[in-house]
Amino acid sequence: MTFDLSRIVAVSLLAIMILFMVLTPLMPFYDPYGQNLAGSLVPMGESSFDGKFYLLGTDTLGRDILSRLALAGQVSALIGLGAVAVSLVVGVFLGLVAGYFRGPVETLIMGLADLQLSIPRVLLLIAVSAIIGPSVTNLAILLGLTSWVAYGRVARGMALSLREREFVLSARTQGATAAWNIRKHLLPNVLPQMLIVGSYEFGQIVVMEASLSYLGLGVQPPLPSWGMMVSEGQSYLALAPSLAILPSIALFILVAGLQFLSQAFTSEGEVAGVSERSK
Amino acid sequence: MTTFLIKRVLQSMLTVLGVITAAFFLVRLAGDPAVLNLSAEASGEDIARVREALGLDRPMIIQYFDFIWNVLRGDFGVSLRQNVSAMSLVLERVPATLELALTSFVLGLGLAFILGIIMRMTGSRFVRQLIMWIALGRQAIPIFSFGLVMILIFSVWLKWLPSLGRGTLSHLILPALTLGTYELALYLRLFNASLATEQRQDYVRTAYAKGQGKIQVLLGHMLPNALLPLVTVAGINLGLLLGGTVVTETVFSWPGVGRLIVQSVSQRDFPVIIAGVFLISLMFVVINLIVDVLYGLLDPRVRMV
Repeated sequence: MTFDLSRIVAVSLLAIMILFMVLTPLMPFYDPYGQNLAGSLVPMGESSFDGKFYLLGTDTLGRDILSRLALAGQVSALIGLGAVAVSLVVGVFLGLVAGYFRGPVETLIMGLADLQLSIPRVLLLIAVSAIIGPSVTNLAILLGLTSWVAYGRVARGMALSLREREFVLSARTQGATAAWNIRKHLLPNVLPQMLIVGSYEFGQIVVMEASLSYLGLGVQPPLPSWGMMVSEGQSYLALAPSLAILPSIALFILVAGLQFLSQAFTSEGEVAGVSERSK
Repeated sequence: MTTFLIKRVLQSMLTVLGVITAAFFLVRLAGDPAVLNLSAEASGEDIARVREALGLDRPMIIQYFDFIWNVLRGDFGVSLRQNVSAMSLVLERVPATLELALTSFVLGLGLAFILGIIMRMTGSRFVRQLIMWIALGRQAIPIFSFGLVMILIFSVWLKWLPSLGRGTLSHLILPALTLGTYELALYLRLFNASLATEQRQDYVRTAYAKGQGKIQVLLGHMLPNALLPLVTVAGINLGLLLGGTVVTETVFSWPGVGRLIVQSVSQRDFPVIIAGVFLISLMFVVINLIVDVLYGLLDPRVRMV
């Protein structure tokens, strides 16, 4: 696996996805919600009885799949970015505090991380989202709060060595407070690494959101989501396989793009997630 | 070894206590159990009476210890939809989930093992890259999408395998393949890395110097050492696999705990949801403990940590 190949694949997949999400809403046919009773389950590249052309066909309610795919992508990307932002902030903060102060603070924070890892993430998300009710904001926050551990662990590990470095010690002897040291000396040094973790976690979160939506616990109708579209298409698998396959392809393009991006960032053999999983 | 064992068991018990605490808060989040148990037209008096009967009028801290005591007895309350204990509903489904998770686990490891050996033995760079790209591609497909594609190919088009339910071995193939291959890329990369590490060890050079062949050195000398990290990570991932059963069971209508949890969510049957989540987390903790202890037995270096 050469470095450059991953990078080319990542950039082209993500470029396709971003162009698709941005350009589709600008098209004259864009209508993710409009139902057409004369055009239910129109196959790809055919027209409905009332003569409207659908490039990717329609779903059971006669809604344009192309438009829905694009809107669902925007929703997924938005939730993903929100969740990554939440988990990055929480994870970096807790990780740096744990690594800088050590002692009981570190034991407490890392204990919390271990505890969170001891409940499978999907189950925790199902339980909480079933109870507080899913919405786009709730999902982004929930997914973010359950994903901070990867950042926290890496940030703590880096803080452990950074706190012993001369520039931190020198600042401390000159009376710098812990908050100042963490903000000015630790944070800038861990951020690049955190963005690598983030690119890997982004893909994971997109899959997690899609899985929740597939189970009916994620994005709620009328807003479309790829996971929900797959679940709707499952009943028509024999009749109209494209209903379930098209959103799956969209998911694959985005997730594979993000996966190769994080692979291009890291050296071969150590993807950011491995360290999280293998303790 | 004893210190290591005691430390690890205590750690696990602490984790279980944490999971119970999380469950307690989840129950509180779900709303007043007295209200959930009654119909919508219940009067304030009725609610107060049920609150007293359920002990909800006592201080929070007493309720918390009471909750721990109930959990330890396996009592998660009665299902809100069926008049049976929530835990008994969950326990009924455990064999199906274990069957799926363990088969997927063995299948995934077996595939990684075979493909890893092929990647090491083949001289062709193309074959190596092909296997890795396929594994990476698989990882980018969510479980439900992959499951549906499998159903489409093997059930709808080829009509070789059943698409849903549990019973015969043929029912198990598609779900296990779907769940078991998800972590293939991770296993392969790990196996490759540890084989590469062993390759540089002195004992390998000695074996070659004695005149042993490539296959003999690989299978007889390197494999036992290289398998250790693979098995550990796979063991830890068995927990993730348990999480993955939720989606897999839903795709294939597999009658396990995960599907029960998802069904209970749509029926808002909170005692069953929480009992299910607790039981799977408990299995996860126990599996991790077993893996760690086994690892400590196999590799003395671990005990030092």
